[in-house]
Amino acid sequence: MTELRIVFTLNGERREIQAPAHRTLLHVLRDDLGAVEVKEGCGEGVCGTCTVLLDGEPVSSCLVLAGRAAGRDIMTLRGLGDGDAPHPLQEAFVTHGAAQCGFCTPGMILTAYAFLQENPQASRSEIRRAIAGNLCRCTGYTKIVDAIAAAGREAPPRG
Amino acid sequence: MARGTAVSRMEPLRVVGRPLPRHDAWDKARARTLYAADWQMPGMLHGAVLRSPYPAARIARLDTTRAAALPGVAAVLTAQDVPNNTLWTDVPGQTSAVGRLRARLQVLAEDRVRFQGEPVALVAAETPEVAAQALELIEVAYAEQPGVFGPEEALQAGAPRVHEEGNLLARWQVQRGDVDAALGRAHVVVDQTYRCQFVDHAYLEPEAGVAWVDADGVVTIRVSTQVIEHFRDVAEVLGLPHSKVRVIAPYIGGGFGGKEDVTVEVFLGLLAWRTRRPVRMVWSRQESLLARPKRHPFILRYRTGAAQDGTLLAQKVEVLADSGAYAYLSALVLLYATVTAAGPYRTPHVAIDARVAYTNNPPTSAMRGFGAMQMVLGYESQMAQVARRLGLDPVELCLRNALRKGDRLPIGQELDTHVAVAEAAQRAWTALGPRRAPARPSHRIGRGLACNIQPYGRIVWLHDWASAWVGFETDGGVVIRTGVPDVGGGQASSLCQIAAEVLGVDPARISIHIADSALTPLAGTTTATRQLYMSGNAVLHAATQLRRQILEVAAQMLETPADRVDLRESSAVTTAGRRVSLAQVMQECARLGVPRDYLGTYHAPAGDPVDLERGGGRVFPDYTFGAHAIEVEVDTETGAVTILRHVACHDVGRAINPQSVEGQIQGGAVMGLGYGLMEEVVVDRGVNLSTSFAAYLIPTSLDVPDVESVIIQSGEGKGPFGARGIGEPPIGPPAAAIANAIEDAVGVRITELPITPERVARALGLVTDGDRG
Amino acid sequence: MPAVPFEYQTPATLAEALELLQPGAGDVRPLAGGQSLVPMLTLRLARPTVVVDLHRLDELRAVRRDNGILEIGALVRHRALERGEGLLNTCPLLQEAAPLIGNVRVRTLGTIGGSLAHADPAAELPAVVQALDGTLVIRSPRGERTVPAQDFFVDILTTALQPGELLVAVRLPILGPRMGSAVEEFSRRAGDFAIVAAVAVVELDSGGRVARARVALAGVGRTPRRLAGAEDALVGVQPSAETFWKVLAGRPLEIAPESDAHASAAYRHHLARVLTVRALERAASAASGEASR
Repeated sequence: MTELRIVFTLNGERREIQAPAHRTLLHVLRDDLGAVEVKEGCGEGVCGTCTVLLDGEPVSSCLVLAGRAAGRDIMTLRGLGDGDAPHPLQEAFVTHGAAQCGFCTPGMILTAYAFLQENPQASRSEIRRAIAGNLCRCTGYTKIVDAIAAAGREAPPRG
Repeated sequence: MARGTAVSRMEPLRVVGRPLPRHDAWDKARARTLYAADWQMPGMLHGAVLRSPYPAARIARLDTTRAAALPGVAAVLTAQDVPNNTLWTDVPGQTSAVGRLRARLQVLAEDRVRFQGEPVALVAAETPEVAAQALELIEVAYAEQPGVFGPEEALQAGAPRVHEEGNLLARWQVQRGDVDAALGRAHVVVDQTYRCQFVDHAYLEPEAGVAWVDADGVVTIRVSTQVIEHFRDVAEVLGLPHSKVRVIAPYIGGGFGGKEDVTVEVFLGLLAWRTRRPVRMVWSRQESLLARPKRHPFILRYRTGAAQDGTLLAQKVEVLADSGAYAYLSALVLLYATVTAAGPYRTPHVAIDARVAYTNNPPTSAMRGFGAMQMVLGYESQMAQVARRLGLDPVELCLRNALRKGDRLPIGQELDTHVAVAEAAQRAWTALGPRRAPARPSHRIGRGLACNIQPYGRIVWLHDWASAWVGFETDGGVVIRTGVPDVGGGQASSLCQIAAEVLGVDPARISIHIADSALTPLAGTTTATRQLYMSGNAVLHAATQLRRQILEVAAQMLETPADRVDLRESSAVTTAGRRVSLAQVMQECARLGVPRDYLGTYHAPAGDPVDLERGGGRVFPDYTFGAHAIEVEVDTETGAVTILRHVACHDVGRAINPQSVEGQIQGGAVMGLGYGLMEEVVVDRGVNLSTSFAAYLIPTSLDVPDVESVIIQSGEGKGPFGARGIGEPPIGPPAAAIANAIEDAVGVRITELPITPERVARALGLVTDGDRG
Repeated sequence: MPAVPFEYQTPATLAEALELLQPGAGDVRPLAGGQSLVPMLTLRLARPTVVVDLHRLDELRAVRRDNGILEIGALVRHRALERGEGLLNTCPLLQEAAPLIGNVRVRTLGTIGGSLAHADPAAELPAVVQALDGTLVIRSPRGERTVPAQDFFVDILTTALQPGELLVAVRLPILGPRMGSAVEEFSRRAGDFAIVAAVAVVELDSGGRVARARVALAGVGRTPRRLAGAEDALVGVQPSAETFWKVLAGRPLEIAPESDAHASAAYRHHLARVLTVRALERAASAASGEASR
């Protein structure tokens, strides 16, 4: 078994951890760093609840071995907006009723954020395509699309 | 947005009826909500379950020595370590007036396993890695036994018995009039058999919880559950007084009935009790798909007779359901099916024979719709075929036969509230608008209608009740305490809106504490579309009583009769506009010794069990009626079906929060689309082949359109402000509406779910077995 | 579930990686994007002794063009193929096929080499490489060898790679004038593995008739399949849906699909025919679009 010392940036802060190489980024984030906003829904990379942004690109953290985080920039939903400065996407999710049980929400918002960075004026059908890899069992997706479309129209993407 | 028909006599409301963002929404959007698996305790162990790989077997040998010896293992438990190794599947949450269901489940298998995935042993270890390794070190020798893998097979003479008492678990029968004679004189008889499949709840949050023994020796379990009353089940298993077990339900990541029965609670209680350390158990998705109870597959045979003008004469319905290896809630699911089998129509002659059998398949239990939703495929497919044979428009046929207020259901219950099915059918159908043109020459467009009836509130024989405590703080803010688990449907938030309406306080100044069996008054299960009805009424009752109490005091302060004082904007205000703040009123209450809180209990109208075969009577408090209209595009070369438009119309009585209501309708309808088009737990001789999200398909954003919700507000629901339940009803119609739309498009009738492209292709004659090109 | 612990290596050079991958006492696996291997690890289905993580090998991310051949390093991600980054835009078939692979997260990390070496019979890229008559470039400590795509996919999840060998690149001929390509995929949901996928590459002659056609199918057997017989019969035909149907209707397709929980063999046969016609039609249309430039 290989123990790794892994240094990376999490939501803008430098973090350093020790972890065995066989651990996934998902479990390192949740269990070692307390980033429980990253969820575990399937362990197969299908449901999208474990989505984090790795150097700005969405990945399934359940399918990333911890060592791959070394030197990289990882963002969870807490890094997008928190406390008094929510991101327009988070506001839109609230006002449009896009979160019911909320379990898909962190992955969904991060995916939408990464997508809107490159496609700010996306159509509803483009938005549906963008979130096709994020499962939701509660909302039927319409209010999620409403929220993402509204956030895309209203706010210029923030870096 | 919601388009409603507000009945004009309803009083205008300030807060109820507004699409306010739910109070839990901000935490969810900022990912601050701590779900069951997000909870950590110092010294926490990790629990895991060893499960049988065989659907039917005797346990010949079980040796945990090597597992227990593994460093880092804190406990390995088998059946002999469980103080009382029986879980009675009683009707959860309440004391049943009908007596126990004949439903007994072992916590851990003793000498026999009856389904693939049945729990055999538990481990608790320092890390998940050690726990996984320990499971692999438990030595079990199984001797496979003959099993039965379908209800037809199970009910044949000489079939292997799943349980000693035989494979027929329950039966309900209803007879009204003379069905055979009526079928004999009908102008058209449609005789068809339908089959619907095992499906999984597939909530995104797998089963999870953390348990610990607190300083007072109370076993405390923080678990993703729809029922906190399971503390009693855990106590019984552990041999503890009920007061020594506490269940807390955080916000859960979806339930849909799958977290209605016990999941991890008892295992966590056992491991925490044994080790005296906190224990966390989180099931993997694969484990959840394998082992959690599913929706009942039904085999439905319908014989429907109608007169030439479309008037329904007779419905003869046979239901055969698969209970899987254990009873769980099967008998009740079958009752729901029986009550709704004839659909939302006046039918003078009805015969229903519903049976459920044990098999060695995965157990089946509660899932959104609970037996009533499966029946929609039957009765609405029948209606579409009757309409087609008679050359009638489906809406016309519905209008001709739709139930109305004052009519009786075949089980004898009189419908004492507005029945909106006719209006729902018309509005849903009209909202489809002009028919689309197909995208390619090989595509065909079709439309289908499906109406439904779904009970809300629990069976009246169960004497359901719910409690809520509502109180003012000294600064005029409000606190609600009630045992309602919030499964994501806005349960807690609606209660805040109701209290805000009655007490004249901004919802932002209301805090609600839910779902703690030690600290919040019990409110029963978040199931059966009952929570808004029951807890809503409990909060309404408590808030109304509280309002009365403090209005007396405010009136004295304002020297005005109480009936000329209103509560609004956190103040008591006279009709002339003089006001005093609620904070001031609270001070005065304190001075006078007037309580600033009220513990209210709402008792649903109760009834005695009725004999369905002899006259029957009231079974449910009330029903929600609705209709969906779907337009499909069928690719006649591949059989692929695309949903172009989906309109879902339901009478919700009163929309406490229209945005929440829309969300329930859209989400339920999409779950129904999944059921109709793609979801199936494939079970082959008891072996579950759908144990991954790669294999078990639920709709993605690309598989479904924007469901348009059309909300009728008749104002006559039995919930607060005339509300009806809306959690379950929208899941019922889509599958039947799709089947009807496909028949409209390409002239073939699909009678088996899910309606996969291959099924359509075969019905179109595109596929020949043995085709080598 | 937690993976069974393993030794983890992150070589900095290809030579180092190849040494580490030599067969030894235990099971050694290379790790590229991880989208196939990591779930097998966390389901405890794969229990290697050593995992050799290739992600530091930038040399395997190179994309080169050498006359009419596009050489794509094994670690080039699906996301790059999808976007047609750099020289990748000279192969529009990749831009059409890559978006069909999994979901956006799979495409962020998944690699062309990983997909080809994994050899899932329902995967898109193996069929693409076969339809283009690509060549797989394989390295070991003993040197380099190449294998034509036709010979690379041997069985379900099995390729011509021998123990200790590593797929380092794939070479794809760039389509010339009057050539067009298309992918037609049928899956239960967008992003799922194909039930059946058809990849067509069509070359038209100066008269607008089919000069050459290549069709590769996924999901129709234990490996992707070229329809050699049908390809021969297509030479000289006037390209249209009707003629393509006629050519295919009269002959058995050279495929051997199996039935599984997702689709029966007979249905896969039927889909293979329908999708082949659709792919040929669009490829021919793209070819005549090319011709009119």
